[in-house]
Amino acid sequence: MKKAEGVIILWWLLFFTLHAEGTSYSLPGKPTLTNCRSPEKETFTCWWEPGSDGGLPTTYHLYYRKESSDAVHECPDYRTAGKNSCFFNKNDTSIWINYNITVVATNARGSTFSDPVEIDVVYIVKPNPPEKVTVNVSWNKSWPSLRVSWDPPQKADTRSGWITLIYELRIKLEGEDKWEEHPAGQQKMYNIYSLQSGGTYLVQVRCRPDHGFWSEWSDSTYFKVPDYFPQERSIWIIIMIFSVFIFLILIWAIHMNSHTLKHHILPPVPGPKIKGFDKQLLKSGKSRDAFSSLVGSDFPPTTTNYEDLLVEYLEVYIPEEQGLMLEEGKDLHDGSLKSKSYTSDSDSGRGSCDSHALLVDKSEEEKEVGQKSNQQGGRTEMDLKRPEESPEENILNYSHANVGSPDVSCEKVKTWPSLFSPLTENSSGPLDQPDSPEMAKQHCLSDSLFPPSPLSSPFAPPGHKEVLGSNYQEYSFGNMHPHVLHPQTGSHQYLQAHGNMNVANIGHKGVPADLQLPPVRSTEYVEVQKVNNENMVLLYRVSSDAEKGCPGRRHTEEYSRLKGVNNDNGLLLLQRMVSEEEMNICPYEDQESSGLTDSGYTTSTAQKSTAYIPPATQVLDERVAGGYVDTSMFTLPIY
Amino acid sequence: MQQNIYCSCSRCPFGALVCAVWVGMVCLVFCSRLSGMKAASICGNAQAECHFLSLANLFDRVIQHSARMHGISNDLHSEFELYFLPSKNQVSRVGRNCHTSNILTPNGKENRFPVTDPELTEVIMKLLAAWRDPLWHFHQSVARNHRFNGYGSNKSLEMSDMAHELRKGVQKVVEKMQTLGVISNSVGGLASPEALLAADGSGWRFMKDSDLLYCFRRDSNKIQNYLKILKCRIVPEHGC
Repeated sequence: MKKAEGVIILWWLLFFTLHAEGTSYSLPGKPTLTNCRSPEKETFTCWWEPGSDGGLPTTYHLYYRKESSDAVHECPDYRTAGKNSCFFNKNDTSIWINYNITVVATNARGSTFSDPVEIDVVYIVKPNPPEKVTVNVSWNKSWPSLRVSWDPPQKADTRSGWITLIYELRIKLEGEDKWEEHPAGQQKMYNIYSLQSGGTYLVQVRCRPDHGFWSEWSDSTYFKVPDYFPQERSIWIIIMIFSVFIFLILIWAIHMNSHTLKHHILPPVPGPKIKGFDKQLLKSGKSRDAFSSLVGSDFPPTTTNYEDLLVEYLEVYIPEEQGLMLEEGKDLHDGSLKSKSYTSDSDSGRGSCDSHALLVDKSEEEKEVGQKSNQQGGRTEMDLKRPEESPEENILNYSHANVGSPDVSCEKVKTWPSLFSPLTENSSGPLDQPDSPEMAKQHCLSDSLFPPSPLSSPFAPPGHKEVLGSNYQEYSFGNMHPHVLHPQTGSHQYLQAHGNMNVANIGHKGVPADLQLPPVRSTEYVEVQKVNNENMVLLYRVSSDAEKGCPGRRHTEEYSRLKGVNNDNGLLLLQRMVSEEEMNICPYEDQESSGLTDSGYTTSTAQKSTAYIPPATQVLDERVAGGYVDTSMFTLPIY
Repeated sequence: MQQNIYCSCSRCPFGALVCAVWVGMVCLVFCSRLSGMKAASICGNAQAECHFLSLANLFDRVIQHSARMHGISNDLHSEFELYFLPSKNQVSRVGRNCHTSNILTPNGKENRFPVTDPELTEVIMKLLAAWRDPLWHFHQSVARNHRFNGYGSNKSLEMSDMAHELRKGVQKVVEKMQTLGVISNSVGGLASPEALLAADGSGWRFMKDSDLLYCFRRDSNKIQNYLKILKCRIVPEHGC
């Protein structure tokens, strides 16, 4: 019996011990303080999270300690804020003081402390959401505008300045997902524009203190936007139409000016503009052919265009006394027309005055004849009559324009040195052989005064080289001037054309003043007969009767104007009759003038006659425009 | 023919644009001048209104200033926390004692806060005075410390300057209040340097930089809050 009871007790003990080990009672788990918040900076609440309870009923206690104090206090209120919370009321709350808070979990086995948390109430403020969010609709010129207004959370004391709240609102259309947020600062209302007419919107507001947490969003407030006329849409339509209109106009304008615009934006690349140059040939690679056209038939330039070479004037004076000094049969190849070519430039006016002498220089003529292309600007007369030149060189024929007229007139056209003399001497019959000196009739236009001294060099000695083909040398008339005019005295100096001189030479050197100035009327007219193929103008003398008949004949009349050059390279001289009186006086003249024989001349009117002179190409200056030819200035192969 | 370089506005669109821009700029300059002049003449008429208005304006300015100062200190504190608290497990700042603790400041809204305006003003002035030297010292310390980058040095200097400026601003507010009769003239006397120095002491020299920064962060918040309270008491109609 005792043994059985003992076994039973053992069994009971075993049973209980086994049972007791199976439940595993332990200390409670460690609780954690989740957060502490203050809604208005006057109270605050702390929440914690309990750990495992360890199988035993566990109680939690919160203890705190204030900064600068070692006293430990327990939470005054565990209930107000709910389970696992501690609420600190106003009396227990101190601002700007650190709280050291700890939660302790206790059960039968023991207690577990949580990690302490230090808080300062100022930095844990999370206010309540704003209240009384209202929306007011106001009309502004048929445009509705919405004003959202709210109140601060009730507990937050903003009036005393204890807490400063900053607000924010958000709005969205009903049914949409995305909110449109607007910060509102410290103001308690907000205006909203540009809403859909008739739409339903939701609006929410929240707030936070300047150093704290955002509150929760307030409850949504629904409001409906009243219908209004969407004027903005109509305005957009008008703007669209207008812009389309302008766009069309622009397109049209560009289309109209596309060409000019193209030129402005993309200026055309200039292509080669070489005369006679064929781009296509170059592109095709045949450079030879391309460049061949450049090589010229034009170069050296043959004076195919006689219009460029014009004898502007020739003035030949053939003094009667002297007799014809033209030598017949002389090879007149160098009796080239020394024509001065008038240029249309300023030289022209001067030229007449200044060019006292035609080139009488034989050598010059020789040279000149030979030259094809160098007569350019070769005022042969000029050449001869350079003032700088020694008088020897200056032969030529001067003719002074007005013999009987004062010097003044000489300034102009008149003072052309005329070719004297030899022509008159040569007034033999027409010469037909080209080689033989041919007399060309030439009207000696002027009784010219010959400046004695400079002219005294009748001709350049043979071999004298004159600047041929050189540039225009202008002899200043001034040089000649003093000598030139002695209208009254009539001290001409006649340039005599020597036999070997092509040009009628005039100035004898040192011809004394004893040269008598022939009276005006004694001026011989030389008719230009023709120009031989050696570029000589052949003159022949006209009978002097005409001269006598025309005492008052002006020198100017002698000048014949170049009418033109015909295609045979003939020089068409136009002889002018200055006045009709003269005409009347000198009917003979007319006849004479009309008597120009050379082929090709045309007598246009009684007043005009043209002397046709196949010009010596070399002689003629190319610059003719506006020039006139002084028939008296023709250089003749006078001997 | 020489081309006329100077084309009139009517013929050159570019010239017209230049003309318009120039005119616009001239107008802008004049308008800004005019507006500036207008602003100066606001307070010319009604003296009484002008004084109140300007006091509120002054308050707003000092409040904004103090808010900014607090913001800087907050930034510095959060940035330097890594340096000052290497281990987050450091339990407590036992023994932290700001040198301004002896200044009796209202620490709650209701209790111990029926502080009169003069008292409140005085507290503000004391606080500002107490932080003049420690802030400069803190700046020197930060500048010397190579662990801190230039940002910290600049911010600490700015903080020190702002404290100085704010003190001058608050003095102006106090003067304004005294002229308006809002507070008595005795307040200014309390802000005299001797009284402040006596209250201050030199306890701050023994504080660590971390504690200094922590304490100033708190005190700047106090200053801002007190100023706001003062403003809403004296000139409540504007933004309270």
